[in-house]
Amino acid sequence: MLRYLSPSKIALLAIIEFYIEGALGNDAMIPIIDFLTAHLLDSSVGSSLAAPADQWRRAESAIRLAASIHRFEEVLAAFPAVDRLPGRNLWDRLLEKLWAIDSLHALHDFFDELPSRCLAKTKKELREMAERGEPPPPPQGVRLTVNSPFGSFVRKAHLEFAKLHFDHVAELWKAFVRYRQPTAAYWRRRNPNHGRLSFDAVLEVGQGEWGSKTNDVAVAAYGRMLLADDQDPAPPVSVDDVESLLEFQIEQVQRYGTRVPQNVRNQFRQLIKNCRVTPNLSHYLNFTDSWRSGEFPSSFDDLHRYFDYTMQSRDRLFYQYALLNLGIVQSDFGCHKEAVATMLEAIATAKENRDTACLNFALNWFFQLSLAHPHLVHSLEDSSMLGSGRELLAFLRTKAKETGMWILWSSALLSEAKLALLKGDSISTAVESMVRCYHVIAEKNVKSMIGPHHALSIELWDRLGIAAMSAITNEVFLRCHARTSVYDDRLRLTCRVAGALASRGRYDEAFARLEAIDPDALRSARAEQYWRLCRALVKLRRDLHRNDLDSADALLAQLLQHGPEDVEPGIVLLVHLLHVEALARRGDFAAALAKVDDLLSAAGSRTTHASPPEKPSGTAASATTTPTGATTDTHALVRLLLVKVQLLSATGSPERGFTLAMRAASLAWRARLLALLWQSCGALAGVLNSLGEFAAAERLLVAALPRCLEAEAVHDAGLLFSHLADARVGLVGAMRRDGYGRKGSEVGVMLAKAHAALDRAMECFAAMEDAGKQCEMLAKKAALYRAEGDMVRAEQCAERYLAVWQEEVGVVGRGGG
Amino acid sequence: MGLSAKDSLQLREALQTAVVKCSERCLYQSAKWAAELLDALPEPDLDTPMAEDVAEPAVHPAFAPNPDPAEAALEARELSRYLLARSFFDCKEFERCAAVFLPEPLLASLLGTDPADVAPPKAKGKAKAGAVPAVSSDDRLPELSQKSLFLALYAKIIAGEKHKDEEAEMIMGPHDSGAVVNKQLVVVSRFLARWFAKRKADDADYPPTQGFLEYLYGMVLAKEKNDNLALEYLMQSVHLFPWNWGAWQEMTNLISRVEQLNKIAPHLPQNIMSFIFHANAAVNLYQQGPDQAASVNDLLSIFPTSSFLLTCKALLCYHSKDLFAAEHEFNKVLALHPFRLDALDHYSNILYVLNRRPKLAFLAHLCSNIDKFRPESCVVIGNYYSLLSLHEKAVQYFRRALILDRSCLSAWTLMGHEYVELKNTHAAIESYRRAVDVNRRDYRAWYGLGQTYEVLEMHAYALWYYKKAAGLRPWDAKMWQAVGSCLQKMGRDRDGIKALKRALLADSYYDTATAAAAAAPPSSFAGGGGDRTAQMDPEVLLQIATMYDRLGELDEAKAYMELCLAQEEGINAAADDSAGRAAGGGLGESVAVHDSPGSDAEAEAADPATREGTGVTFATSKARMWLARYAIQTRDYATANRLAMELCQDGVEVEEAKALMRQARSGLAELGSAPGGGASSSVAGEDLHHRRQSRG
Repeated sequence: MLRYLSPSKIALLAIIEFYIEGALGNDAMIPIIDFLTAHLLDSSVGSSLAAPADQWRRAESAIRLAASIHRFEEVLAAFPAVDRLPGRNLWDRLLEKLWAIDSLHALHDFFDELPSRCLAKTKKELREMAERGEPPPPPQGVRLTVNSPFGSFVRKAHLEFAKLHFDHVAELWKAFVRYRQPTAAYWRRRNPNHGRLSFDAVLEVGQGEWGSKTNDVAVAAYGRMLLADDQDPAPPVSVDDVESLLEFQIEQVQRYGTRVPQNVRNQFRQLIKNCRVTPNLSHYLNFTDSWRSGEFPSSFDDLHRYFDYTMQSRDRLFYQYALLNLGIVQSDFGCHKEAVATMLEAIATAKENRDTACLNFALNWFFQLSLAHPHLVHSLEDSSMLGSGRELLAFLRTKAKETGMWILWSSALLSEAKLALLKGDSISTAVESMVRCYHVIAEKNVKSMIGPHHALSIELWDRLGIAAMSAITNEVFLRCHARTSVYDDRLRLTCRVAGALASRGRYDEAFARLEAIDPDALRSARAEQYWRLCRALVKLRRDLHRNDLDSADALLAQLLQHGPEDVEPGIVLLVHLLHVEALARRGDFAAALAKVDDLLSAAGSRTTHASPPEKPSGTAASATTTPTGATTDTHALVRLLLVKVQLLSATGSPERGFTLAMRAASLAWRARLLALLWQSCGALAGVLNSLGEFAAAERLLVAALPRCLEAEAVHDAGLLFSHLADARVGLVGAMRRDGYGRKGSEVGVMLAKAHAALDRAMECFAAMEDAGKQCEMLAKKAALYRAEGDMVRAEQCAERYLAVWQEEVGVVGRGGG
Repeated sequence: MGLSAKDSLQLREALQTAVVKCSERCLYQSAKWAAELLDALPEPDLDTPMAEDVAEPAVHPAFAPNPDPAEAALEARELSRYLLARSFFDCKEFERCAAVFLPEPLLASLLGTDPADVAPPKAKGKAKAGAVPAVSSDDRLPELSQKSLFLALYAKIIAGEKHKDEEAEMIMGPHDSGAVVNKQLVVVSRFLARWFAKRKADDADYPPTQGFLEYLYGMVLAKEKNDNLALEYLMQSVHLFPWNWGAWQEMTNLISRVEQLNKIAPHLPQNIMSFIFHANAAVNLYQQGPDQAASVNDLLSIFPTSSFLLTCKALLCYHSKDLFAAEHEFNKVLALHPFRLDALDHYSNILYVLNRRPKLAFLAHLCSNIDKFRPESCVVIGNYYSLLSLHEKAVQYFRRALILDRSCLSAWTLMGHEYVELKNTHAAIESYRRAVDVNRRDYRAWYGLGQTYEVLEMHAYALWYYKKAAGLRPWDAKMWQAVGSCLQKMGRDRDGIKALKRALLADSYYDTATAAAAAAPPSSFAGGGGDRTAQMDPEVLLQIATMYDRLGELDEAKAYMELCLAQEEGINAAADDSAGRAAGGGLGESVAVHDSPGSDAEAEAADPATREGTGVTFATSKARMWLARYAIQTRDYATANRLAMELCQDGVEVEEAKALMRQARSGLAELGSAPGGGASSSVAGEDLHHRRQSRG
């Protein structure tokens, strides 16, 4: 296999000659030149805005061009050749040109004369000619300047040909003959003189002398190639072709985090099947492929193979990169401990070799890992020289700025913001970091960081309870930036949209969003896993709300298998919370409470007044408590507390949840977890209700409700409304007790308000398809009517209750009444 | 020369035996040669041999045991060890192969010590490794069958060659003096000397040997440059076993002159091998002529498809400058044996000279496809690159050829040519020198050396080398011309004239010879009868004339000038001069330096045209100018005017011609009418005619 030249490049050169000879008509000019540039220039230039699918199509076209001459026919046959008789098109013209190269010597001539036919004289050459007293060449149509893309291609081809050894030239010639041969039948129709041996003029001429022996001579010269059953001819490609294809694929894979599409991969494999020289990069491609497909052993095998071949190339040691890749793969497959060890070694090696780029990358990665898995890193912090997280970040930021690693810089800023959010620090600090990060992104055009940035800002808006903003940010990303960013980001944010829709009860839309994802992109194992997880979560929530507990159990049994090794901690928490809910719905409150306590103790809370924290068991919560609890997500803690309060109130001892509710509220307030704050208010109001402090509860709820509606947390709003109704009913009772009975109107107003609140709660729960809660509300309504003596309405409510129950559950359940 | 069925059968059997015998001794090249020849023998008629086949016993003579009972017994005894040694040889473990029969300590004891030494440690016979002290120096040789002995010693030599190649420095590197020697030669030669001495000592009771050991000894002696003794042993060998082509080839290499060949011819056995040898040796000595062609054609009638003989024929045509016929012959060989690479380097030379670029490219492709690591392939490719004027690449390939085989003669010479092109005269001289060292008969290398020295303006040296070349090819005008012009530059005009006259003579000699050689049946290219008058090179004539001019012999000078002018018209004075001029001018420039056959090409390619005259060339114009001036000096203004006018017409040196014309006209005007003008020119013509006859 040759280094640069291949038969398809000869054909491209021939087309460039058409351009020079003026064979292209006006309408052909742009498509043909476009075609040429697409194959001559670096494919990544100027095409990044195209959708990934289009990019893959280009790669496919490049492969087909290298493999078969018929690709040229598709492009050229549509255009007439203007310098030939009418009826001849450019395809005929190309064949004419290619068949004119009728012997090895003609091939030499073709390349020898290439510069003189195509290239314009440089100024220097003109000057030298003038010095020698030669007249300047007459202007003769188009000539390529030396540095134009075509000119440099022509020069490169010429140079590469001159560098070839004879046997390589012969190889090129044979490959060319084979590449051209499929057109022989067509060419014979156009050109009746064409004979069986026309592929080599020497043979054709020699036929006269050699007679029947010509075949023997031909076989001696061309070997098995001429025999029909040549099964595995060397492919007509050059190392350069294969390498550029490989680089393209790896770039795509790395940039978008997807796998190579099936058909491209098959075609490519076909192409390089018989290559004697496989570039080392192909091992890397294999590695990424098996990595993405989740094939653990072979991905390690390929990675090692790749680095075994390339460890020492170009006088530089690439050990640190090998370690870096290894670490990433290990953590990707959930071997975090090994990953940490590998990464530490990578950092040490990079320091040793003064490879700043690698060092910074490794440090950044290490920091991200430490955020995700604090327990792994913690023991190292004292002994290693890495320092604590914040110091590390500061170091990274300055280093990245110095060395101009924009991606690293922006990611360090983002990490800072994330850390601030996690620890419940001031929102403004976090926002400041984010704005600075966005500044870097915008200024340096670091497109790949847009995804993480948007993800973080969505999270921020969510925390602040401004759902509209978060939805808009999400949409902005998906509509504007999705095609230039890593595929993972796209998937995550799409899942997030789906989750938001599900939390508003729009399950079908959520499913539609999830199903709309390109199935080809899901060929990556992790992506598909994540996608399935999201779908399962949406479905689980719907099942729970519909009281379809068996199906929910089946789903939970699968979902609980996910530990923090392979999914984000947020999702793990969500799964656990849903599990608690499922337990509660089954009425197994003891198990639910125990589980919440476990989770709480794992999250580092000391304020639970339940039994002393037990050691968490197994996979459910492998995160051990940190002494300071510094890195524990406040968000998770508050949610757990709230769940516990709910459970306590459901088990009939709401007053025990008072401190918990207070604590949750204060934590949420301090960390500006506003959405959770309103929930805490609801919980607190429930406790207050149970304590008979109806007025206080009502005031609290009336203040919290609008904000809660703003956050678009429909289910929470329903809960708040139901608490509000309770408080108002309580107020009515208090009024009656206090002798407000005379002022029936005030009582009536309050009662109407209670009904309104119940109706609103009813709406919310209906939107969430939460049958249980709907029934609860209807029962309350019916009780109220009965208390008022309005038996008809009470009866109506009871009927609706039964209808809802039948409709939603469809089974005779253990309903609460 | 037809063969009777019986003869043919015998020949077949002999060749079959030869193949078996040679390959038993691992003489693969000889075996191959014999097998090829065998293959070229037409299949016998099916009727007659059938009966004989039935009658004959099952054992073919090739597999019959050795007729000598003693040898047969020894061979039978050694069979297993022989097989062992043989398989080692086949696996290229030469030292090990030799050690099977002649372990190193034994050899050392036999040869390392002086024969007069008193303490010979090792014994003989069956107890070779034993410690029985030897009785007499004669008896110490191990008792081995000749076959095993040959194999062991031959393996020794091959091992030595291999070591030699390994020790050799990079081709033309700073330490590559070509002085590395095969260290095993001494051992083997001593051993054989003793072996033969012993046999001679107690002759009588030995039956004749098989001839192979003689061949081996001859080869070793030849390598040691002991040519006469080597020849003697080789002659013995071919007398004993004529079917070993290797022996004949060694002899060919040893014979450096035709006279020598003719001298030994009567002493050779009279059989077909000697006939083939004679033909081949003559070809290698650049002989040509009708009898040569006839003998090759005779042989070809016996072996019609023999690639070897066809190659011989092609080379014969090549040496007699009939390039088209040579090309045709090689083409035939290629078609018959498309996978045979031998001698294709000569073919590429021919294609080079004929400037058949596509064909040469095809040939190079073919060679490279069959085996790119054969010296022949590399030479072909190098020639192709040289034709494309890619001299660096050409040098690279010739170098590769030399790495593969240091004794590749044509590669050395051609590399010299390339270095000349690259203006690297030192390297050129060195590679020519190496070529000459490899084979002193390579006139092209001698000629190249001369040319290089001429470029360096060291004419005395150049003359020496040109003379060498001319000695090798006495009938090559090119050589004599070079000698002549060299002499001219040294100011030795008399000798120069002699040499150039010889060149003119040689030209005419070749023309007739070619015609005769080409009379052989299939060559359709070389037409023309042998009786036409020789065409002479105007350049040479001009050179002779100027030398006479310098010597002050104006009459002679004038005569040659006119003769030179006469070439313009030639014999038939046809109008086909443009073709001739193109052929002469186009090729000469680039080719002349590269390869002396290049000049042949000039002559050859121009051949069909020159028959009709050369047309106006630079040389004839010069002559015309000289004649015009001379005419003015002798006041023959009419002639001067005519010549000057012709000069103007030809468009050469018009200004000067016009000046001459003016001068002549004014002279004419002075004289008034000059009736003697026409007469004098006719006198000159007669004179010329007379002169030619006297020479011819």
